Amino acid sequence: MSNVEKILSDPVGETATLAPKPKITAEGAGIRFGSIVAVEDFTTVIREREFVSIIGPSGCGKSTLLYAIAGFLKTTSGVLKVDGKPIVKPGPDRGIVFQEFVLFPWRTVLRNITLGPEIAGLPRAEAEERARKWIRLTGLGGFENAYPATLSGGMKQRVAIARALTCEPDILLLDEPFGALDVQTKNYVMKDLQDLWIAASKTILMVTHSVQEATLMADRVLILGARPSRIVADVRIDLPHPRDPLDQRLGRYRQEVTEILSAEVDRAMKGERGQ
Amino acid sequence: MTLDTAEIPRRRLPLPPMKLIRPVVSLGVLFGLWEIAARTGAISAFLFPPPSAIFAALWISAGPNGDPPYGILLDIALSLYRLLAGVGLALVLGTIIGLAIGLTGWGRAVFKPIISALMPIPTLAWTPVLLLVFGIDNRTTITVVFIAASFEIIYNVVTGIEMMTRKVYWVAASMGASRLQTLRYVVLPGILPYLITGLKLGVGYAWRALIAAEMLAASSHGLGFMIYDAQEYMDMKSIYGGILTISVMGLLIERGVIGALEKRTIEKWGVNVER
Repeated sequence: MSNVEKILSDPVGETATLAPKPKITAEGAGIRFGSIVAVEDFTTVIREREFVSIIGPSGCGKSTLLYAIAGFLKTTSGVLKVDGKPIVKPGPDRGIVFQEFVLFPWRTVLRNITLGPEIAGLPRAEAEERARKWIRLTGLGGFENAYPATLSGGMKQRVAIARALTCEPDILLLDEPFGALDVQTKNYVMKDLQDLWIAASKTILMVTHSVQEATLMADRVLILGARPSRIVADVRIDLPHPRDPLDQRLGRYRQEVTEILSAEVDRAMKGERGQ
Repeated sequence: MTLDTAEIPRRRLPLPPMKLIRPVVSLGVLFGLWEIAARTGAISAFLFPPPSAIFAALWISAGPNGDPPYGILLDIALSLYRLLAGVGLALVLGTIIGLAIGLTGWGRAVFKPIISALMPIPTLAWTPVLLLVFGIDNRTTITVVFIAASFEIIYNVVTGIEMMTRKVYWVAASMGASRLQTLRYVVLPGILPYLITGLKLGVGYAWRALIAAEMLAASSHGLGFMIYDAQEYMDMKSIYGGILTISVMGLLIERGVIGALEKRTIEKWGVNVER
C-alpha cells in the first residue's frame, strides 16, 4: 500500500499505527500586524505526504499563514511546529513557490535551479546533476540555458517548482501557484504538479482561492473564514489520485466546499458593510 | 490591416542602417558648411579654423613631429588614467556606501544626511580645497572624478536595493542562505543593472568634471590642460582638436564601454531598470 493510500484509507488519522507522522502542527497559531489580526486561533495537524489546500475569501490571511509556516513571518500567539519543533526561521526543509515566480533574472533556468544546492555548498557538477532530475520531471529540458525573461508564465512557474524541489525539501509550500497563469497553462501545470507530488512524496500545503484547484489536487481542504481567519471547515476529499476533473464525486465535493465558502464570503461582505 | 503587414518578412537592404547614416550626414553637413565659411572668409579663419586644418593639426600632434611628440596621445592617456582611477574608487566606495544605506539602519542614519548635504555642491567647488590639500597633482583631479562619479553610483545602488521585493530575500532564506550568501547571490547581482546605470551617469558627470578640473589643477598633460595651455599660445587649432577629442572619447566611454557592459548584463537578462 502506498503512503497516499494509507492516508486515504485512514480519513480521521486516528489509527496510530497506520497514520503517517504529523509533519506540520498548528496549535492556536495567531498572527497580528499591529492592531490588525490576520490569523487567529489556527489549529490543525498536517501529516507526512499529505496534500492540504487552504482556501478562503481574499484577504483572509491564508498567504500570511503560509509565510509563517515558511518561517518568513512570526506568529504572535500559539505555536507552529514542523516535526514537533517550533518554527523559528526559514530553511531548506520547506520549499516555497510564489504566484509571481520570483526567479532570479540574472541566472539561466539551470542556474536558478542549482542555486539551492550551491548555497548548501555542493560542487557545481553535483548541483547540476540534482537539478537535471527535476528539469526532466518538470518538462524544462532544452531550456536550461534560457534566461527567465524569455520564458512564458507556465515555464517560469515550472522553473520555480523545480527550483524548490531541487533543494529536496520535506514540505512544499505553494502560494497561489496558478494565480498568474492562463487557464490552458494552468491545467497543464496542475496535472504535472499532481504527478510530481506522487513522484516526490512530499508534504504539500497549497494556498488558493480556487475551489476547483483545491478539490482536484488536495487530500484535505481547509476552509478559512473571513478575517480574522480561523478554520471553519476541514473537508477530506476521499478520492484516489490522480483525479479526473469530470468525476461526479469530485463535483459533489466542489459543491460542498463552494457552499461553505460562499457563506463565509457573504459574512465577510456583510461585515465590511457594517451590517 | 496592421496584423497582415506585420507578418510579411521585411527584407534588409545591404546598406549600413539609417542609425549610422543619419549622424554621419548631419555632422558632415555641419563640418562642410564650416569649412566653406572659413575658407571663403565668411567667418574668421583664426577664431574658427577650417575643420580640415584642425584634423591635420590633430594628426601631426598624434605623431613624432608633434610638440611635444605624440602630445595628444599622452593627453588622452593621462585623462583616461585619472578617469579610470577616480571612477574605480567611486565604484568600490560608492557601492559599499550604497549597500550600507540600503541594507542597514546605521548606514542610513550615518550616510544619508551627509550625502544629501553634499549632493547639491558642484564638484568643481571642491577644487580649491583639493588644491590646498594635494597641490597641483594627479590626486586632485582623481578626487574630483571620484566625487563627481560617486553620487549617481550611491543613489542607484540604493534604488536597486529598494526595488527588490522581500520575496527575493525569502527565496534565498528558504534555501538556507546566510547573510553573506544572500549578499553574494541575491543582492549584488540584483543591483547590478542599477549599478551600471549609476556608472553610466556617473562616468558622464566625471568626464566633464575631469576636463574642467584639469584646466585648474593639472601640472602637465590631460585634455583639459592641453586646451587651457593652447589658449595661452592662441593655438585655436589645438583647442578645437582637444574639444573634438573630448567629445569622441566621451562618446566611446559612454556608448562603447558602458554599452558593452549593458549588453552583457541588462540586455542579456531582459531586465528593465526603472528610474
